[in-house]
Amino acid sequence: MSVAGLLIGLGLIAIAAIIAIDVSGMRVPPVHAKVGPRFFPLLVSSGLALAGAAVVWQAWRRTFDEDLPPATDWFAVAVIAAGLILHMNLLRPVGFVPAAMVLFMSVTFAFGSRSFLRDGAVALVLALVAYLGFTRLLGLQLPAGLLQGII
Amino acid sequence: MEALGALMDGFATALTPINIMWSMVGVTLGTLIGILPGIGPALTIALLLPVTRTLDPTGAFIMFAGLYYGAMYGSSTTSILLNTPGESGSIVTALEGNQMARRGRGAAALATAAIGSFIAGTIGTLLLTFLAPQFVKLAILFGPAEYFALMVLAFMTVTTLLGASVTRGMTSLMIGLAFGLAGTDILTGQPRLVFGIPSMLRGIDTVVVAVGLFAVGEALYMASRRDLREAVILPIQGSLFMTREEWRRSWKPWLRGTAIGFPFGALPAGGTEIPTFLSYFMEKKLAKNPEEFGKGAIEGVAGPEAANNAAVAGVLVPLLALGLPTSATAAILLAAFEQYNLQPGPQLFSASGTLVWALIASLYIGNVMLLVLNLPLAGVWVRLLAIPQPLLYGGILVFSTLGVYSLSNSTFDLVLLFIVGIIGFLMRRHDFPVAPAIIGLILGPMAEAQFRRALTISQGDATVFFTHPISLALLLIALAVVVVPVILRRVLRRVPV
Repeated sequence: MSVAGLLIGLGLIAIAAIIAIDVSGMRVPPVHAKVGPRFFPLLVSSGLALAGAAVVWQAWRRTFDEDLPPATDWFAVAVIAAGLILHMNLLRPVGFVPAAMVLFMSVTFAFGSRSFLRDGAVALVLALVAYLGFTRLLGLQLPAGLLQGII
Repeated sequence: MEALGALMDGFATALTPINIMWSMVGVTLGTLIGILPGIGPALTIALLLPVTRTLDPTGAFIMFAGLYYGAMYGSSTTSILLNTPGESGSIVTALEGNQMARRGRGAAALATAAIGSFIAGTIGTLLLTFLAPQFVKLAILFGPAEYFALMVLAFMTVTTLLGASVTRGMTSLMIGLAFGLAGTDILTGQPRLVFGIPSMLRGIDTVVVAVGLFAVGEALYMASRRDLREAVILPIQGSLFMTREEWRRSWKPWLRGTAIGFPFGALPAGGTEIPTFLSYFMEKKLAKNPEEFGKGAIEGVAGPEAANNAAVAGVLVPLLALGLPTSATAAILLAAFEQYNLQPGPQLFSASGTLVWALIASLYIGNVMLLVLNLPLAGVWVRLLAIPQPLLYGGILVFSTLGVYSLSNSTFDLVLLFIVGIIGFLMRRHDFPVAPAIIGLILGPMAEAQFRRALTISQGDATVFFTHPISLALLLIALAVVVVPVILRRVLRRVPV
């Protein structure tokens, strides 16, 4: 039995259930009763549930992950995930440049680089160029944060 | 011959300095992202969408199309010199191309790929020029029921033809459809799958899903695979001028690759991967010296590289004429049309004829630019491969989060990006194809709208889908696409080998 496959299959069934429950709670005006906004979601929900059941069945019969990669570096995955979570929380308070640097450094670290000086320098230049390019040339709004008034 | 006149007007628009510049930007950027592993045309166009919102649509589409063509040229370089494909359309190129590079014939491999891409791209664009107006004539006969049936057919072909199994393809499609459901219902204005979050009323943006699946999912996956981190870049050896022998062995595979690539691109079968595999096996079958395959046979590079460029031209036929995307990149291009309130299909050719024909004309120009860009300058592009992997993926994630945030200056989109990224990682790790999810996301809401429109016209009578001949035929083909492979497998299993 493949545990990962079982979890993925159950996850799909759970999403299917969430869609079905949410849509069942909708109040549909009688004009739209026949082909209203519920029909399609229920179709997708059934499809997801079926797909989930098929994955569970395959996981049970050990035909799910026949060629899974040899080893998974979960630590690296966790580092990038942490970098993304930090980035979305830091973006508004400290601004684009420091937040992007944190994200960049987390990725380089996860990919096994230990040249912190080089990575930090590249991160700084990249973040500054992106910030100035996007705000000055393309007119997008990015949070300045700590660098407010400096750049 | 009205197409010829329209094309000439198209050239007049495409050859203005500003549009030549957009074409140049597109093909250069396309070559760049084609060469860099981990970043492809679908992701790049998705990231460019928020930036190009205020741009003139003609210029933007000239750039996008150049980018799509350019990615196919660039990706062969990575396959040949690094043995990892730059894009999925160049997976088979690595088989023979890398062997050629190992044996000191890397330059010849690059040359046959670039020239083959040019020939296939140009023939493909010619076919597009004359076939698209014919498709438009067909599209005029289509009502909501026919469009819905066409979309069902697209769903069935992408799920059965892409990926390891029908279960996995179907799962991916359903995930994409589910993403497309969220937001305000178009016909009744009611919130659906919003979970009380105001930001969800807008729905989940295509860009968020595409970037999450392609960039974040891919980065997480590559980080998780330590064994994929080290790759050897081979130097370009030999002469870029192919020998007479190499020309003789290349020209037939170029033409055969084009003949396979174009129709497969135009069919709703998911773009460039399948025709390249078919072309490779065909060349292997037809070769006078099949024992050379696996050791650097030039036919195995020439055929598939022509096939993937012809497929890109093929993809544009149903996209422009019917509004039907047959690959992930085409699906993103369809989202780009929506951003400019343009509806691909007959109306596009009549109302925005200038745009369409300028776009098609720019493809001829782009192909010439790409040949120049890729043949003599191959050595310059190769330096890109020296970018260390950690810095490459660091950069990809910085620009991905930047692009997603700038959609509507919302950190909630970054939360969604994270969730989609985790899903993308699991899909990559467990071998679920990503393209059906992208196509489901974009076609799903359209399919629902056409479905409900058809039933409103018929006053709730569901038989409309079976009484209209075109719709019935499309649905029967869709059924056959799912059922026939299953039956074939059963029958083949019974025959003792």
